[in-house]
Amino acid sequence: MTARAPLPGSELCVHCGFCLQACPTYLALDDENDSPRGRIVLMKALAAGTIADTDPFVGLHLDQCLGCRACETACPAGVPYGQMLEATRERQASVRPTPLVARLVLRVFERPVVLGIVMFGARVLRATRLPWLLAKLPGRIGASMAMLASTRRPGGGRARVALPSSTVPAAGTLTKVATLDGCVMEGLFASTNRATERVLAINGFAVTAAPGQQCCGALHVHAGDADAARALARVNIAAFEQSGAALIAVNSAGCGAMLKEYGHLLKDDAAWRERATLFSKRVKDVTELLADVGPRAVTPSADAPRVTYDAPCHLLHAQRIADAPLRVLRATGATLIPLPDAEQCCGSAGLYSLVEPSLSLRVLSPKLAHIANTGAQVVATGNPGCLMHIGAGLVRSGAHAVARHPVELLDDAYAAERTS
Amino acid sequence: MTTTSITNVRDLADTVRAAFEDGTPLRITTCGTWPESLRSVRSGATTLDCSAITGIVEYIPGDLTLTARAGTTLAELEEATARHGQWCPLSPWGTDAGSFGATMATATRGPLTTALGAPRDLALGIECVDGTGAVIRGGGRVVKNVAGFDLTRLMVGSWGTLAILTEISVRLRARPAVDETWSVPLDGDGVTERLHVLRQGVYAPLACEMFHGAAARAVGLSADAALVRLGGNAGFVAAARSALRTASTNAAPHDPAVWTRAREVHAAPVLQTLAGAIDRPLDRRVKAQFDPRHILNPGLFAESA
Amino acid sequence: MLQRELEAIVGERNVLWRASELLVYENDALPGYRRRPRLAVFPGTRDEVIAVVAALWRAGMPFVPRGAGTGLSGGAVADDIVVLGLQRLKQVLALNAGARTATVEPGVVNATLTKAATPFGLHYAPDPSSQTACTIGGNVAENAGGPHCLKYGVTLNHVLAATVLLPNGEIIALEAPRADRAGYDLMGAFVGSEGCFGVALDVTVRLTPNPEQVVTLLSVFSSLDDAARAVSAVIAEGVLPSAFEMMDNPTIRAVEASIYAAGYPLDAAAVLLTELDGAAAGIAEDVQIVERLSRACGATDVRTATDAADRARLWQGRKKAFGALGRIAPDLVVQDAVVPRTRLAPILAKIAEIGQRLNVRLCNVFHAGDGNLHPCIPYDASDADESARVHAAMKEVMELCIAEGGSITGEHGVGSDKMAYMDRLFATESLDAMCRLRDAFDAERRANPGKVIPSRHCREWMSVRGVEA
Ligand SMILES: Cc1cc2nc3c(=O)[nH]c(=O)nc-3n(C[C@H](O)[C@H](O)[C@H](O)COP(=O)(O)OP(=O)(O)OC[C@H]3O[C@@H](n4cnc5c(N)ncnc54)[C@H](O)[C@@H]3O)c2cc1C
Ligand code: SF4
Ligand code: SF4
Repeated sequence: MTARAPLPGSELCVHCGFCLQACPTYLALDDENDSPRGRIVLMKALAAGTIADTDPFVGLHLDQCLGCRACETACPAGVPYGQMLEATRERQASVRPTPLVARLVLRVFERPVVLGIVMFGARVLRATRLPWLLAKLPGRIGASMAMLASTRRPGGGRARVALPSSTVPAAGTLTKVATLDGCVMEGLFASTNRATERVLAINGFAVTAAPGQQCCGALHVHAGDADAARALARVNIAAFEQSGAALIAVNSAGCGAMLKEYGHLLKDDAAWRERATLFSKRVKDVTELLADVGPRAVTPSADAPRVTYDAPCHLLHAQRIADAPLRVLRATGATLIPLPDAEQCCGSAGLYSLVEPSLSLRVLSPKLAHIANTGAQVVATGNPGCLMHIGAGLVRSGAHAVARHPVELLDDAYAAERTS
Repeated sequence: MTTTSITNVRDLADTVRAAFEDGTPLRITTCGTWPESLRSVRSGATTLDCSAITGIVEYIPGDLTLTARAGTTLAELEEATARHGQWCPLSPWGTDAGSFGATMATATRGPLTTALGAPRDLALGIECVDGTGAVIRGGGRVVKNVAGFDLTRLMVGSWGTLAILTEISVRLRARPAVDETWSVPLDGDGVTERLHVLRQGVYAPLACEMFHGAAARAVGLSADAALVRLGGNAGFVAAARSALRTASTNAAPHDPAVWTRAREVHAAPVLQTLAGAIDRPLDRRVKAQFDPRHILNPGLFAESA
Repeated sequence: MLQRELEAIVGERNVLWRASELLVYENDALPGYRRRPRLAVFPGTRDEVIAVVAALWRAGMPFVPRGAGTGLSGGAVADDIVVLGLQRLKQVLALNAGARTATVEPGVVNATLTKAATPFGLHYAPDPSSQTACTIGGNVAENAGGPHCLKYGVTLNHVLAATVLLPNGEIIALEAPRADRAGYDLMGAFVGSEGCFGVALDVTVRLTPNPEQVVTLLSVFSSLDDAARAVSAVIAEGVLPSAFEMMDNPTIRAVEASIYAAGYPLDAAAVLLTELDGAAAGIAEDVQIVERLSRACGATDVRTATDAADRARLWQGRKKAFGALGRIAPDLVVQDAVVPRTRLAPILAKIAEIGQRLNVRLCNVFHAGDGNLHPCIPYDASDADESARVHAAMKEVMELCIAEGGSITGEHGVGSDKMAYMDRLFATESLDAMCRLRDAFDAERRANPGKVIPSRHCREWMSVRGVEA
């Protein structure tokens, strides 16, 4: 049979294998069915109808994909793996049920009120010592508790605080930037969101809110529920248009990657296609914005922390942003220690750590070993999933290092400078 | 003991086929400059003199490749290539009166081997006649080739016990713009170690051989010494020279003609290693495939039949 | 039942038998050859490999060793027999920095070995463009080359020893000949045996010290002919670059459109990437010669890589060029011919003529210093007419290279793809001799049967087994 597979992008693959060693699941499982090249073959065959959508083993290999898109930055032929995977998951969703855990989480994230309650509950729990005590339990419970424990910040800081006026340049000429709250970021990393606002302001942006925004929909797309994601996308586009901001700052790499793909997500929706494309062009990772203006640097102090940087896949591979976070970190005055294999996925991958806990931990373990070898006190990474997954791994292994967002570190550095 | 002289491949193939049919043992020799190399070949074997299968078949200087018949002497290769500023850096222990074929068949090394490659590294292709009289070609004349299983490596160094080499293609090198020889007295205080470090480093010499006692005297050195050959472009050799002087302040320029004598002096020790060298089942199966009646240089490896 | 027996050795997860899961193992990196294996088995230890091969031997089942499946000759494909995947054997067993050697399991990826050697200032010199993916086992089996093999030699010249498992269960230690040891160079014979002699269980290789200095030059030409003449001129002058690579305009465009864009000028007819390395002293002289000869042959620009990052970028473009060509059309054929280096210019002209006459998109990206051509043609296999023209063009190119005294493969191996040309290159007596060499290792033809030598040329095999040609 020579009929062309109706899976756009798959025809670009020349089967060269350059993506194999970039793929965390191939490195962990050593079967090409769990590699990009293998999954492309499977997806092509699914699309061509040569293998059945219901084949549970094919489903398994596709489910085991982290969606980290490290294969894309390794591929010389420009195979759009992420888009192909999403298209396949969308088809598959109709024949293969999404796992129960995942379904539950997705429904919660679609409903701001329910999400608010869940996040509130999580924070209450976090305020007790319980998560630390339960973190060492095996399986999902232990993992979730460790994640929660890792999100705690001294001082909390949920309220949107007023900026110290002396540091804020005069308004008027400034670029107006709206920030994405992000479900997990606002729910569990509110202090990081506040830090983001302060740091942007100090670096000359006029920060504004975009009320009405919701979940970005990334988890839904990854789970094959593209319709839910499209609905969320429309809500968000409208909300940010309303805010009147020129740019949208995102401090969650996963959400940022999703927002940048709204154009692709809504490409078949005539009414929204253009708005979505325009919107996507205005989305920037917060480190990207800061790097563009050259972030105001703090003079390194003697007790500057030793920091190592782990690149979130959705920043490095999906958004192709490699340097910007490093520039932000350099501005903090910290001592930067390179992390071997920083470009490799930590195994978090959205819901993956909940759905495929054991594989996810296998992918994480070399990462933890590399981190320990650097002797760093802080691992910087700009994505809530990675912060929690690596953070949980650090908590559970009793390591002394903590995971922090680069912008949090810059904010700390500015604060330390003010007090000294 | 009879001797048959052969002048071309066809005749050779016919002769070997006849010997194969009769089971006649053959002692293969080319220029005969190294008779002791064949001392363990079963006595009574018919001597097959291949020195007349000779001549350069193709030499394209721009390609830095050369094809010549087995009986061509090393001196002839030297002369032909020197005219174009090139060389075939086999330069084996022994003399240039020896043949190209025997050098490759015995994979004889020389002072330049470490820097410029052993016979197996220089060989690109071969033609040979195996123990059944079949004329076989392997490899080719171009510098990179993986077409088919590697008969070239198999035959180079097989000491004429699998087949008789009749033609070999090799890669050549450009002669270094500067090529000078130094002698370094081995007068204690770690000079040997420092020379070893030099050989491992970026200014590695083309050759570095140590001569002690009688060997040193035979080469014409007044005391134990290393002969060191530095080669490359002017800039490289200048730096290598100072590296050598750092290794030994007593290093002194030496007449390069010394290498001729040095190669002769060093020639003997190779032979002890032959006995029993091909005694594993796999070796014997290889032998059986190419010389099923054990007529080629029988006894040379003292293999159990 | 064989499947159960293998599962008992390696575990259920490491035996594949479902058609869907075998799909990706139907071909190597040459998608034109698809063969459906019966099973694929992935042993995780040396002992498991030995047990698996013993089980296969008892069952009378032939097998095909497979590394990373990046081969370009249809070598690691199994027609209704077993794929023996070695990718799980990926331990660096020993690295002796003082002796400059490493012993690795066959599934160790080429670039991973170099990474392991880097802290000691060493690297593994053979650098196939696929080095970030291909395995040492596959490299040994194909006698892989790479850009830097011009100066440093191919896999053969860097393999010191190997432990080889023959299909009948015999385990043999092979060693490259040394000054103090005579004997048949079966190590040399094994390198390049394309999986037909047995399975490499471990391989000991030489590591090479990193050069003191590296200079990378990008020379730009407005005609392919000029570039080819520059290569011949430099080689004839006796300068030995560590690498000397050529890319033509269609290739440059594909690379520049990819994630590995290297900054090659889009309007150049060809670029040459020349690298000189070694001791710092003396390099400048060679650089001057290359630059002078390039300009004399018509180079419009010669620039030196500014720093390590720039050099890496220039190289990434070259090394990922083949993959980048994938974006031109859905399918791609690549050949691997070698020609005498003095003949490069006329041969490239004739190849261009063939491409034009048959109306196919011939692209060239190759190891120019060795005369090792890689003509590539991107095309659409679903277009029957185009496919026919592509195959006709490739055939003409190969015949041309043979007629010029060249070879049909410099580094990719014969595999399934080039078998048809073998009797253009060698007479039956020679092909039969190659079969005999194989018979010494694997008389039953259990390892990678049906590859490299068309069986009609194997006299013994034909007469005893009555196998069809
Ligand atoms: C983009 C691209 C660029 C390339 N560039 C180059 C290049 O520059 N130079 C070059 O030489 N090649 C190149 N190749 C070809 C290929 O990468 C090499 O041939 C490589 O050596 C194959 O290694 P592998 O592990 O993928 O082997 P595979 O493709 O898996 O197998 C190749 C052969 O090796 C055998 N084999 C594998 N492992 C073993 C083992 N342990 N024991 C015995 N036999 C074994 C197999 O049976 C098969 O016959 C390139 C390929 C691609 C896709
Ligand atoms: S690197 Fe790209 S072209 Fe190569 S196999 Fe992977 S996806 Fe296909
Ligand atoms: S997205 Fe990540 S896990 Fe999935 S195939 Fe690509 S590299 Fe592998």
